[in-house]
Formats: sequence, structure tokens, C-alpha cells
Amino acid sequence: MMQIEIIEMSDTKAKFILKDGTPGLANALRRVLISDVPKMAIDNVEFHLGPIMVDGREYESITPLFDEIVSHRLGLVPVPTDHELFVFQKDCVCEGEGCPNCSIMYSLNKIGPCTVYSGDLVPLGNEALKVKDDLIPIIELGDGQAVLVYAIARMGTANEHVKWQATHGVGYKYMPIISVDPKLCDGGSKCTDLCPCKVFVMDGDVAKAENLLQCSLCGSCLKFCDMKAISLTEDDTQFVFTMETDGSLTAAQTLDYALKDLQARFAKFCEDLPDA
Amino acid sequence: MIIPVRCFTCGKVVGSSYPIYVKRVQMGEDPEKVLDELGLERYCCRRMIISHADLIGEIQLLG
Ligand SMILES: [Zn+2]
Ligand SMILES: [Zn+2]
Repeated sequence: MMQIEIIEMSDTKAKFILKDGTPGLANALRRVLISDVPKMAIDNVEFHLGPIMVDGREYESITPLFDEIVSHRLGLVPVPTDHELFVFQKDCVCEGEGCPNCSIMYSLNKIGPCTVYSGDLVPLGNEALKVKDDLIPIIELGDGQAVLVYAIARMGTANEHVKWQATHGVGYKYMPIISVDPKLCDGGSKCTDLCPCKVFVMDGDVAKAENLLQCSLCGSCLKFCDMKAISLTEDDTQFVFTMETDGSLTAAQTLDYALKDLQARFAKFCEDLPDA
Repeated sequence: MIIPVRCFTCGKVVGSSYPIYVKRVQMGEDPEKVLDELGLERYCCRRMIISHADLIGEIQLLG
């Protein structure tokens, strides 16, 4: 039975060991984390065209960037996601038309000269859906320029577009198995000095591999040790995973969702198999 | 041009780090330390910030 031991878990970052797994299972988890965890992202942007009147002054609804680039940048902004509150548009009661169950509407209204930040996106309705990372520059406006934009976020997965990818930097390495033969080790401490990941420490007059999780499996210890006392192999049942999220979901939520999704898929697969 | 919202390679949001980076480095802090503290670990994300030429002000007039 596969087990997970959490080493580090913060809001947006996680490090854990997958125990009693197989390489296939580890890769399946990696791929689900990357492309099958749904999140909300801005998908539809409507620009107001023509003059904008503010306090009796006329502003031109124009920006230094093309509208397409502005909408693309808005799409990449991480939007807070709650899987309890929102569903996919195709599964929604509104049948894909867009309603408060499946979409978030934001408005962006600014006049120049200024820099427009992601924090200027105002959610219509629920104030809790305000973008958390509020310092992402979207555009810079000059004097007399203005934007008035309505943007609609919807649920999606990274199969469709990366803006729906909740995680990044997802990867794993095999758990290293390092042993030092105390009969051969002459205590030259080359490995403690030269290992780039500082895996070895001296235990009396012999070296000992201690910080196993830091090991990048580079194998330079094998090269440096004149006595050939070190052996380095990989454990293909244990995997050291690292992942980060973009802030739309927490790392714990993402991992939870991915594991449940994987479980459901395996169950479905077993069901679909003809009886042996 | 303008700082990209995300890292081209890994997809981490780097846009929000740029204004902070510029401010802190101008105040005389060590760029390496600032990047570390902003959580930009991988070199793909670090190059997004370091190598960026912020020219959006120049083309603003042409909008
Ligand atoms: Zn709906
Ligand atoms: Zn990156």
C-alpha cells in the first residue's frame, strides 16, 4: 500500500516522500498534479471601446499593449479557487451559459497615468474572491489613457491551457541508498568536503551518509573517494517529491485532490476490466 | 517590454516579484539575497527578473 510522508508543507509548497510505490505510480501522481487538478482562471475578457468619462474629463480607452496581450496577462493571474463553490461549466445547471456557480466576474477600471496591478481586479459579488497576489503588473497607462474591462473566470484543467495549471515545479527523484564501507574508509574526508549537496558527515574516523534527502544522485562521491568505499544506488520504491502551487489552491488541497482523482481513476479502470 | 506574469519555463508567478526586486535592489540590497527571499529558487525564474528590460514606459506614448 502506497504511503506518503510529509516533510514540508506550507501554503504554496510541499515536499513529501512517496513510500512503497512504483516508478509508474510516482509518474502518474506527477502527471495528475500537473494537468488534472482544476482551478479557476480568467477566460473571457470584454473591453469597453470608445471614450471613458471620469470627473468631466474624457479618457481614451487605449493601452500601450494590444488588447489580446492584456487579456492573456489577465488569464495568467492566479484566481482563488474553491472546489466546493464552483463547478465546471459543462456540469453546471446553467448548461454552460455562465452563472455564479461556475464563473467569477471581475471588473477592472483604471485611468492613467498609473500602473494597473492584479489587485485592481474587483470581483463582482463575493469579496473573498479577490486576487491574493495583488502586485502583478498588468499594464502601464499613460496620461489620458484608461481601461474598463470585464473579465470572467471559469474552471478548467491544464489539459486545455497552462493558465489552468495549479502547480509548477512538480518533480521527484528516487530515494538514494548510500553506504560507506567502514573497513575501506580511511577517513580522508574527501566526500564530506567535495559532495556538492553536503550529504556526508564524519562519524569518528569514518564518513557517514546523513543528509540523504539533499542528495542529488550526482555520483561525484564515487569519483572522489580514492578508497572506493562508497556505494550509491537508487531505491525505486521510494520517491522524494517536491511541488509548488501558484496560490490559487493550497499545496495540501492540490495534493488531496490529485490523490482522490488518481484513486477514482484506478477504481474506474478496475471496474472496466473484464472479469479475469 | 513589461515583466511577464509567469516564468516562461516553469510557470511560477514572477510578475509580482519584479516591483519588489527593483525597489529593494535600488535601495542597495544584494540582488542574490533579494531573489532568495522572494522565493525564486530555480534559475529559470531568476533569469526572468534579472534579464528583464522594462521598456513599457517608452511605448506608452504610442498607445
Ligand atoms: Zn453555471
Ligand atoms: Zn521558473
